[in-house]
Amino acid sequence: MENEVKKADSGRRTTLMVVISIIIAFLVYYAVMSMMGPAKTMAGLKSRYGVQPAEENPVDEGVFNDSIYVSTMKQKAFLQARIAMAETDSVSLSLNLSDSTAILEINGVMVHTAKIREIQMSRILRSGDVNLITSMLATPGHIVRDFATIKKEPLMIKMAPKDTSEFKPDIIPDTSDYEPVGYILEMERGLRIFVYQAEQDTAPDRRQLRMFDLKDRMRNTWSSMKKVTVFKVPEYRPYIKLRLPRADAKIIYRAIPRKGQVAVYI
Amino acid sequence: MTNGEHNEIGSQDAEMNDQKRSDLSVTDDFTGKIRSFLQKTLADRKLRKVLRIVIVSLGTLMSVFLIFLFLFYLVPVIQEIPSGAGAKMTINSSLQEDQKYKKQVSLLQKDVQRLSRKFSSYTSGLSYIVINTTDNRFFLYRNKKLIREGFCSSGSYTMLKTEGEQKWIFKTPKGKYRIQGKITSPVWRRPDWAFVEEGLPIPSANHPSRWEYGVLGDYALSIGDGYLIHGTLYKRFLGMPVTHGCVRLNDEDLEAIYHTLSVGSKVYIF
Repeated sequence: MENEVKKADSGRRTTLMVVISIIIAFLVYYAVMSMMGPAKTMAGLKSRYGVQPAEENPVDEGVFNDSIYVSTMKQKAFLQARIAMAETDSVSLSLNLSDSTAILEINGVMVHTAKIREIQMSRILRSGDVNLITSMLATPGHIVRDFATIKKEPLMIKMAPKDTSEFKPDIIPDTSDYEPVGYILEMERGLRIFVYQAEQDTAPDRRQLRMFDLKDRMRNTWSSMKKVTVFKVPEYRPYIKLRLPRADAKIIYRAIPRKGQVAVYI
Repeated sequence: MTNGEHNEIGSQDAEMNDQKRSDLSVTDDFTGKIRSFLQKTLADRKLRKVLRIVIVSLGTLMSVFLIFLFLFYLVPVIQEIPSGAGAKMTINSSLQEDQKYKKQVSLLQKDVQRLSRKFSSYTSGLSYIVINTTDNRFFLYRNKKLIREGFCSSGSYTMLKTEGEQKWIFKTPKGKYRIQGKITSPVWRRPDWAFVEEGLPIPSANHPSRWEYGVLGDYALSIGDGYLIHGTLYKRFLGMPVTHGCVRLNDEDLEAIYHTLSVGSKVYIF
């Protein structure tokens, strides 16, 4: 009897050890595959935006590390992107991370400027191949998807009264600003722009923004998991995280169209 | 030192020793109690089972929490660890003296100047107005300088629905528009939704009840598709999103805008 109990115990222990080992092995495998993501993204960018030196007039590779050349090239790329956006009549966003400004533009006219309080960005954008990143940013990025804590169009539905007895004159609308502002703009070339309100004074605001961030992390992990389980390197998407005053963050989100355009100067 | 002083010090030492002894006995009591509680718990099969379940559950929860922490927070951090030396910007003096380099940089700088000029040309030196529908504010510019700003009212983002399939959305359109017409003493021709909204039957197209005088202020500027920049009777609502899509202004601002903008002037709404 005692032997049987001991056998069952050791069997359970072995199963537990196997399960734990499998989980640890999967986590290590997932981490290794995820670490390969940035290199894969960089390779993809290289094949898409990499400069092919002309055979007749080879460019000295050293110029791509020269600060004067690179800063002039970045300015040119940013202007090119803004001009391309100005050709349309809709609202577009220009992010000048060098002087910490976010600018809303319509047809090339700056209609709203906001000061960015805090900037964080991916390693790829911070210290990757400057020439490659500049080439990528020389054309405006199109927003393909967005997630936000606030509604883009806060539409209220009102049923028409059947007759005059049901009609109630409009009362003053509730314009109290209570939602914390946070949103993610996903660009078609894989870049993700996170915008959060700089003010984090109240606990509910912090909690709501943390939940929003957690949901995004869960979404990303889930999609990476799906790739990893079929032995594919998960997609790594470079990001830019910005903190802006709440009012400005809200104005920008409400102003840019769903499939709007964004130009970035790093 | 006198004998009396010696005695006093001796009694103080004795008091301290007593205190230490009592502290030790309290600690002994406490550990003793814990020991006896654990002995009892381990001796009791039911309690042992409960304790095991609690420990296993806590361990499982902790492991799940750590796995999530690893997946959601640690892996993204690992991805950002630099894998090699990044590109370092330098000021290469020998390169900067190279004629080819100089030519290349000068070409680039010319491009930047040309593009800057092109980009600046998008902003007109003529008068134009910018309307912010989120904050319900307007900004009037002339010669690229802000000359007036203030509150306005824009679309309420209300969807009016009837029991049938009819619906109207009251929002101010965004983008670039032009002033298409300027009107003094405008008269409002009430559209169908104005009747539906009040529960009134919709009259014929030219019925006298459609015409309402004095509700749009002294001036109106049309931006197309039936949208107007006009005055209002409801000045307390300025700065709020309350309109059916038009832009409302107070009388003074409306007059200034009417006299500053001309037909063809640009209107930027965001």
